[in-house]
Amino acid sequence: MSYTSFNFILFVLATVLIYFLFPLKKYRWTILLVANIVFYSLAGYKYSVFILFTSISSYLIALWIEKISASSKALLKSKKAEWNRDQKKAYKEKTKIKKRWVMALALILNFGILAFLKYYNFFSGSLNDLLGAFKIDFSLPTLKLFLPLGISFYTFQCMGYVVDVYREKTQAQKNPFKFLMFASFFPQIIQGPISIYDQLAHQLYEPHDFDFARFKHGCELILWGFVKKIVIADRAVIAINSVTANYSSYNGTTLTFTILLYSLQLYADFSGGIDISRGVAQIFGIDLMENFKRPYFSKSISEYWRRWHISLGVWMKNYIFYPIATSNLFLTASKNIKKSKFGKTAAGSHIAKVLPTSIASLIVFLVVGIWHGASWKYVAFGVWNGGIIMLGILLQPIFDIIIDKLHINRENIIFHIFQMARTFIIVLVGYIFDVAPSFSQGMRTIILFFTNQNLKTGWSEISTLGLGKKEYLLLLLFTILIFIVSLIQEKHELRGENIRQILDRKSFFVRWAVIFIGVMTVIVFGVYGSGYNAADFVYMQF
Amino acid sequence: MDELMQILEELRPDVDFENETSLIDNSILDSFDIVALVGELNDAFDIEIKPNNLIPENFNSAKAMMAMIEQLQDE
Repeated sequence: MSYTSFNFILFVLATVLIYFLFPLKKYRWTILLVANIVFYSLAGYKYSVFILFTSISSYLIALWIEKISASSKALLKSKKAEWNRDQKKAYKEKTKIKKRWVMALALILNFGILAFLKYYNFFSGSLNDLLGAFKIDFSLPTLKLFLPLGISFYTFQCMGYVVDVYREKTQAQKNPFKFLMFASFFPQIIQGPISIYDQLAHQLYEPHDFDFARFKHGCELILWGFVKKIVIADRAVIAINSVTANYSSYNGTTLTFTILLYSLQLYADFSGGIDISRGVAQIFGIDLMENFKRPYFSKSISEYWRRWHISLGVWMKNYIFYPIATSNLFLTASKNIKKSKFGKTAAGSHIAKVLPTSIASLIVFLVVGIWHGASWKYVAFGVWNGGIIMLGILLQPIFDIIIDKLHINRENIIFHIFQMARTFIIVLVGYIFDVAPSFSQGMRTIILFFTNQNLKTGWSEISTLGLGKKEYLLLLLFTILIFIVSLIQEKHELRGENIRQILDRKSFFVRWAVIFIGVMTVIVFGVYGSGYNAADFVYMQF
Repeated sequence: MDELMQILEELRPDVDFENETSLIDNSILDSFDIVALVGELNDAFDIEIKPNNLIPENFNSAKAMMAMIEQLQDE
């Protein structure tokens, strides 16, 4: 069931009604659990086995880890007087190793399923190609694998929880049903945000009373999500799909336009979907973390990744970046460089300082790239983003010198706009590998960008992509709308205020006019089903 | 505390570490600063800062960092 389907709206309304009318307040969370199970089963009950397995294994392993920690602490306490410092240290080390083994089991089980379902065919295909190149007569079969709904999101969320218990940052959940509730919360199961247990879980279990202000704000956020998703993204994707269906036949201008259109579509689609998720959760009194903060306004690529898919970035930072960058291996390497002769030079001292960060960044982006999909083009996407960040860190002193030499004022608005434009172009190059069907086609697109620009041919191609002039004009108008909304959000964020709160202060007439226009926009301009005019929708639904 | 202040000021001369109490919450220090800081602090105070210590509460102010360092030295 898609978040933008009429059935989903009905499903949410029914869940809201039952939840808030349920008399046993303490057990209201069970209504949400049932809703999660129904929602997930409707997507295909065969998927449920996987989410159940990951939930149960994470639940049990977290308890196991917690038990090891607790019994170790109890023993240390009882031997406090008896054992000397070394004995205590040795025992602590033993406990740590034990915990690590159990943690490794969780990693293998849960990421094992994800990796197998997502990457087996990529791996076997690449291996077969390699063996074929050496004329070795052996090949792994290609399997018909399917990806269970939201597998990345619930796996990441569950693993984050197990690591948090391992790090003793959070207590293990004793109630298996409550844990399942956390793993499968329906508004976020399809595309996140990837929540942190400590931030989300207690909100899920607390009984919430109906609050009209929250209901209204939730609905407004959902409405904005619908505008972004079905008016903008679902319209833009028609042209993008036409191009990708026949990618190699378009000229450089058309491909450039497609990549630009993709930056609009991806943002509107993903952030719109997240708005719907957050809006639905808000109605139930649950705050999900923000996943987007006007990413295209970023002044550097590392800032972009702090503002785009924020929950994935936080997850990567906590569970991959920090452990790698602060590992003994990296810190010792940095220390050794510092001690060496090279480390005494300005360049050497800088490299020693930023080495752990830069290599860890590259690794994180390789992981992010591969997570996006099992293909070499996503490896390129990761290397491109991580590589730019790595170079940015390593070359920072040189940039500083250039900026000083050119007497550029860093606080100057024109310099900021330059930085934003530069960052946006870097992001667009990364997107090429998202849109292009393969790595080689991605590289070809970059070459065509420089060698094959022709506005006339481009426009005649663009007008055959399934969207007419009016449709493009509409997209342009909505892009301007998103831009204006983003500027307002940017301005008011410092005050900790969102647009819905600003709207609250407007007169009754203005408030309802905005909502009415929003609803009408979705009904009239929304793209529905296989065709893309509102008549289809109105006809089908009434 | 003096040693810590020296390290911090060397890392980010532009930040007022004496008075700032939301270094992480207000995004004054980013994850790159934190990693650089971990290496420096480990060496200077002979401690081992682990990923589980890398939480905002431990790095929001110089005082919080000192408290974490002292706790790790005790272990």
